[in-house]
Amino acid sequence: MTRPDPVALAVLENRFRAIVEEMGEAMLRTTYSQILNSSRDFSIALCDAQCRLVAQADHIPVHVGAMPFAARAVADAFGDQVREGDIFLLNDPYHGGSHLPDLTIVVPVMDNGVLRFWSLVRAHQTDIGGATHGGYNPAATEIWQEGLRVPPIRLGEGRLPRPDLVMMLVTNTRMPREVRGDLMAMIGAAHLGEKRLLTLLGKHGGAMLAEAVEAIFDLSEAHARRIVADWRDGTWEGEAILDDDGHDARDIRIHARVTKQGDRLTVDLSDSAPQTVGFVNSSYPNMRSAVAMAFAYLLDPEVAKNDGAFRPLEVIAKEGTVVWAREGAPVTLCTSHCSNEIVEAVVKALANACPDRAMGGWGRRFRIAIQGRDPRRNRNFVWHLFHARPGGGGSARGDGWSTAGEWHSAGGLKFGSVEMAETRFPLFFQHHEFRPDSAGDGTHRGGFGGELALVVESDGPCRGNTAGDGARHGSVGMLGGEDSAPHRYVLQRSDGSERVLATKEVGIAIAPGDTLRVQAAGGGGWGPPEKRDPAARAADRREGLVTR
Amino acid sequence: MSLIIGASDSDLRTLRPSDHRTLYRIGVDVGGTFTDVVGIAPDGITTLAKAASTPADQSEGVVAGLATLAEALGLTLADLLARTERIVHGTTVATNALLERRGAKVAMLTTEGHRDVIEMREGLKPERYDLRLPAAPALVPRHRRIPVRERLRPDGRVEAPLDPGSVDAAIASAKAEGAESVAICFLHAWRDPTHERQAAEAVRAALPDVFVTHSAEVLPQIKEFERFSTTAVNAYVGPVVARYLTRLRTRLAEAGYGGPVFVILSHGGVAPVEEAARLAAGTALSGPAGGVAAGVALARQGLGQDLVTFDVGGTSTDIALIEGGEAALGRGREVGGERIALESLDIVTLGAGGGSIAHLGPGGLLQVGPRSAGAVPGPVCYGQGGTEPSVTDANLVLGYLDPGNFLGGKRVLDRAAAEAAFGRLGAQLGLGAAEAAAGAHRIANLRMADGIRLATVRRGVDPRGFTLLAFGGAAGLHASAVARELGMARVAVPVFAAGLSAWGMLHTDLRYEVSRSLEGAGLPGDAALRETFAALEADGRARVSGWFGGEVAVRRAADMRYGEQVFEVGVPLDGVDWEAPGLAERVAEAFHLRHEQLFTYALRGEEVALVNARIAVLGLLPGGESRAVLPPARTSVATRHIRLEDGPAEVPVHGFAALLPGQAIPGPAIVESDTTTVLILPGDIARMDARGWLAIELP
Repeated sequence: MTRPDPVALAVLENRFRAIVEEMGEAMLRTTYSQILNSSRDFSIALCDAQCRLVAQADHIPVHVGAMPFAARAVADAFGDQVREGDIFLLNDPYHGGSHLPDLTIVVPVMDNGVLRFWSLVRAHQTDIGGATHGGYNPAATEIWQEGLRVPPIRLGEGRLPRPDLVMMLVTNTRMPREVRGDLMAMIGAAHLGEKRLLTLLGKHGGAMLAEAVEAIFDLSEAHARRIVADWRDGTWEGEAILDDDGHDARDIRIHARVTKQGDRLTVDLSDSAPQTVGFVNSSYPNMRSAVAMAFAYLLDPEVAKNDGAFRPLEVIAKEGTVVWAREGAPVTLCTSHCSNEIVEAVVKALANACPDRAMGGWGRRFRIAIQGRDPRRNRNFVWHLFHARPGGGGSARGDGWSTAGEWHSAGGLKFGSVEMAETRFPLFFQHHEFRPDSAGDGTHRGGFGGELALVVESDGPCRGNTAGDGARHGSVGMLGGEDSAPHRYVLQRSDGSERVLATKEVGIAIAPGDTLRVQAAGGGGWGPPEKRDPAARAADRREGLVTR
Repeated sequence: MSLIIGASDSDLRTLRPSDHRTLYRIGVDVGGTFTDVVGIAPDGITTLAKAASTPADQSEGVVAGLATLAEALGLTLADLLARTERIVHGTTVATNALLERRGAKVAMLTTEGHRDVIEMREGLKPERYDLRLPAAPALVPRHRRIPVRERLRPDGRVEAPLDPGSVDAAIASAKAEGAESVAICFLHAWRDPTHERQAAEAVRAALPDVFVTHSAEVLPQIKEFERFSTTAVNAYVGPVVARYLTRLRTRLAEAGYGGPVFVILSHGGVAPVEEAARLAAGTALSGPAGGVAAGVALARQGLGQDLVTFDVGGTSTDIALIEGGEAALGRGREVGGERIALESLDIVTLGAGGGSIAHLGPGGLLQVGPRSAGAVPGPVCYGQGGTEPSVTDANLVLGYLDPGNFLGGKRVLDRAAAEAAFGRLGAQLGLGAAEAAAGAHRIANLRMADGIRLATVRRGVDPRGFTLLAFGGAAGLHASAVARELGMARVAVPVFAAGLSAWGMLHTDLRYEVSRSLEGAGLPGDAALRETFAALEADGRARVSGWFGGEVAVRRAADMRYGEQVFEVGVPLDGVDWEAPGLAERVAEAFHLRHEQLFTYALRGEEVALVNARIAVLGLLPGGESRAVLPPARTSVATRHIRLEDGPAEVPVHGFAALLPGQAIPGPAIVESDTTTVLILPGDIARMDARGWLAIELP
C-alpha cells in the first residue's frame, strides 16, 4: 500500500466535503418541521473509525466540534457489538449529546466487517417532551424536567429502525408526526452518507482511505498552525457575563484564560462561575464545540473543519462550573447560552493576540413563543419569534451585518415572511425595521438589531414563554469598540400600561389587543469609535440609523 | 439539428438557395469572450460565426458577429438582414449590471414601518464561517427607501388608505435624490395592487422620465422579501436593459433590419424586446438560458428525455436538468447576491471552467478555481501575460488540445509556457509538470461532477439514467470523465457544441408567465379554482396576442404545501382534467404524487394549501429542421500523443466534420473541430448520430 499522492488527497478531501453537502441537501428536502427546513437547525458530519471529525457541512456553526462526542459515546456504549446496518440514536447531553432537543443519528460505515467511518446527522426537534412546549423550560432545575433523555441506543438493525422504539420516542413528544418525519429524514441522510462512503471504500480500499484521512488531518493541522503562529504570543483573559439563570443567579461569569505559544493555544475555562440552578449550564460536548466555534471564527473561513484543524487547540475546564455541568443539571439553553458567552470570552481574550481577526460581539438569543386561539381559523396556534433578530459584530474589514443574528447561527437562521405570518396567525406586524442606535459604535460599528411592534389579535387570552439572555448585557464591543444596546422586550397592554419581559419566563398572560414591542440588540463595535470614518458616520445619520 | 458531412465553402454556396425571399432566423449569444451568432436558413442549413464580445456596449459585438455570419454566407450584412425574419438574443447586460453594481439609481416607495425588508435579507448572510465579511450594501440604500402611509391586511381589507400627501412627499424626496428609477413595494400588494397602481400613476405623472415598476406587476405573490427584492432588481437593471435594447434596435435598424427582435429570458422562453425591458429582472439568466433551451430542443429531436446540460465556459460551468423533455424551473435564484424570485431555469453555476486556475490552496492541497484567468490575461498558453496555470493549460500539456489548431488556427497556443507553469506548481507538491497537469484536470472533473450531484440531489433525481449533454468550448474534454464519476452511461456532444446556446434560442417559444397568490390557507373549491386560473389565462393570452398572431398553448401549475409546512412544492397541473367535477381533489392528488416523488412520502390525511396559481402562455414559434454545417476537416485521421490517467498513449484524432453517420470510434481517441475537442476515454464507444451529435457510450 502506497501513501496517497497529493492529487488523490485533494480528490478525497473534495469528496468528503461533497458528501456532507449532499447529505445536507437531502435533509433540507426531506424534513418535515419548520425548524429544520426553514431554520436549518441541523448538522451533518463524517467521523473516522477513531471518532475524529473528517468533514462537517456548513449549516449552523454551533455543532462544529460536538459531533465526534456523539460517535465516541456510541463507540463506548457498543464497542465491538457495532454491526453493519445498525442505526444508533442519542440525545442525552451527558452521553454524547449537546441538549435534549437535538437528536443525533449515528450510522457505522463498515468495510468487510471492519468499522471505517461514522455517518452522523443531528437535528433540533420541534418538541422533546418535558414540562414546556418546544423543549425550553426556564423553570427546570433538573434535566428530567426538560424532556426525554436518550442515551446511545440501537434504534434499529439491517438499516431499518425498530417501529416500537420509534413509537416510544414520538409518543413522548407533543408533535409525534413531525418528530417521526424528521427522524426518518435524518436516517435517510445518514444512510446516504454511508452509501457514498461505501462507494469510496470500494474504489480505494479502507487502508488507503485511512491513510488519506491522516494526511488530510496533517495538512489541515499545518494550515491552522501556520495561521496561529502569526499571532502574538502571550496569556490573556476574556470574560463574558450572562444576565441570569432565570432563578437567583445574576451576572454569571464565563471566564477564559488563553495562552498562545508558537502555533499552540490553550483555552482554560476553569475560572468560570459554578453551575447554576437554571438551564444556562453547558454540557461538556457543547462547551468543547463553543470553543471550537470561536477558534474557527478566528481562523480563515476556508480552513477545513476537521480534527486536524482543531489540534492546535487544548481545552481545560472544571466539572461543576457553568460551562461543564455535573450530570443531572438542566442544560437546554446551552446551545445558545452559555455557548455564545464562551465564544465571546475566547474571542475577547484572543483579540489581544490577533486584533485584526477578532470581531465585535454578535447578538444573544431572546426567543418568545406565543400560544393561543386563532379566531379566523378557529383553531389553536403556536408562534415562535424569529423576527427582529440581533445584529452581527463589526470587524477590521468593515461594519457588521444588521439582523444577521447570534454568535451560534451567524447569519444561518432565516426568519419567515411577515405577509405569510399575518396570513397564518392572528398577528399584525405594525412595524418591523432596523432599530436605530442599537449598534455598538466603533471604528467599524456593529450591525443593527431589529425592532418589532406586534399586535396580538387572538380569540381570548394567550400565553407566552421566553428563553434567552441579553436584556441587561448587550453584544460586546471589541478592542475599544462599544457594546451594543441590550435587548428590550415590552408587552404593552391596550390600556397603555407596560410590562418589561424577562428573558426566562413561563406563562406570560397576553390579552387580545396587546402589543409586543421587541427591540433587539445590535452587534458590538470593533476598534475605537473616534477612528470611525466621518463619512461613514454621516452616512449612518443620513440613513436614520444613528440619531445620537 | 442534423448534419451535413464535410461540407466545404463551395458546397455551402451550392446548398444556399439563391431565392431572394430566403428568410433566415438568427440566434445571438453574447458570452464573456465571444459573441456567437447562429443563422438557420429555411432549408435547415445552420451556420455558426463568432466575433469578439464588446463588454462596453454588447450591441457592437452583436453587429460584428452578424457581419461575420453574412460573410460566411457570402452576403453583405444588409442583404442578410433584409432576408432575416427573426433575431433572438441572449444578453448578459442585466447580469453584468448586477455583478458590477452599475445599475440605475433607484428610489423605493414602501409601506411605512417596513422599509428595511430588502436589507434584512430574512436574517441570512453568505459565507457561514466568515464573520468578518463586511455587510453587503443594499441595492437601494435606506435613505432612498421612502415610507408611504398605507396598509393592507392579507385578506385585502384596507387597514390604512393610501395617503396622497405621503406619496407626494415621497416623490419629492425621490426627485431630490436624483432617482432614475422608482420601485413601489407595498405589503400585501399581491392581494390587491390598487395602492401600488395609484402610487405608480402619481410617480409617472410627476416624474415622466423615470423608470417605474411596482411589486404586484413584477411578481404578484405572497412573501415580501422575494417580491420586493425582485422588484428592486427590476428597477435597478430596467433602465440599463432598456437603454441597451434601444441601442441594439437602432444599430440593427441602421444596418437594415426591421424585423422582430426577441430576447431569451431566464425561464427559457423568449419575449419581444419591449417585454424584456419592462421585466428586465427576468433577463438575469438570459445568457445561459439558450443552452438549456437547446437541451429541450435536442430532447425533442430524439436525444433522450432525461438530460443533464453541461455547459463549460471560460470561467464557469452551468448545469441544468431536463426531465421528461422539460427543463426544471425554480424561484430561488440569486445574482450578485440579490434575490430574483421570478420563475427561472434551475441552473447551477460552478466556478470551474477552462480558465480556472490550478494552485496550491491555503490548506496545502491542490485546488482548481474558483479564481479564473478570465478573458484577460487568459490561460498561460495564450501568451497574454498569464502566469498561473489553468485547466486549459492542463489540457494542452496533456496533449488533448492541438496547439496549432485552436479556434481553427486563429490562436496559436504556447505549450512550453503551459508546461513551465505546471512545472512550478508541481515542484511545490513534489510532482512533475505532466503529473500536476493531470491532477488539475482530474480535480476539475471532480468539481464538475460534484456540481451535477448537488444539482440532481436537490431535485431528488438520480443522474445515472441521464445523458450528459456537453457543450460550450471546453466540455468535450471533461464530459466522459465526469459522466464516469457519476455512473452515467451516456454522453452527447453536439456538432455545434461551441455555439449551442445561440442555436437553442432559435428552438424555443414565446413565453409569458403569470401567477397569483391565493388568499388564506387551504385549497379552493372547484369553481374558485377554475375562476382563478381562467382569469390568469385571459391575462396571459391578452399579453401574448399583443406579441404575435400564431398558435398559443397554455400550461397550468401551482405552488402547494401541507398545512403547516413552510416551503411550497411546484406542481404541474397539465395532466389534470380541468372540466370534470372533483377538480379540487384531483389537484390535491397531483400534489400528493409530486411530494411523494420529491420527498419519498405523502401525507394524504393532511390539509393541502394552494399558495400560488401559475399560468404559462406559450406562443409557438415555427422551429423546423436545422442541419449543422461544419467547415471542412482540417485534420484527417492522424494520431496524437496524449497522457491519460494510467499513463501516456498514442491515440487517433478524428475531424468532427469527417465522421460519417453511424461511424463508431472506440476510445481512446480525440474528435475535434475548429471550436470543440472531445476526449473519448478507453472503453468508450463514440458514434456519430445523423441528427447532429456524437453519442458516447461509456463502459
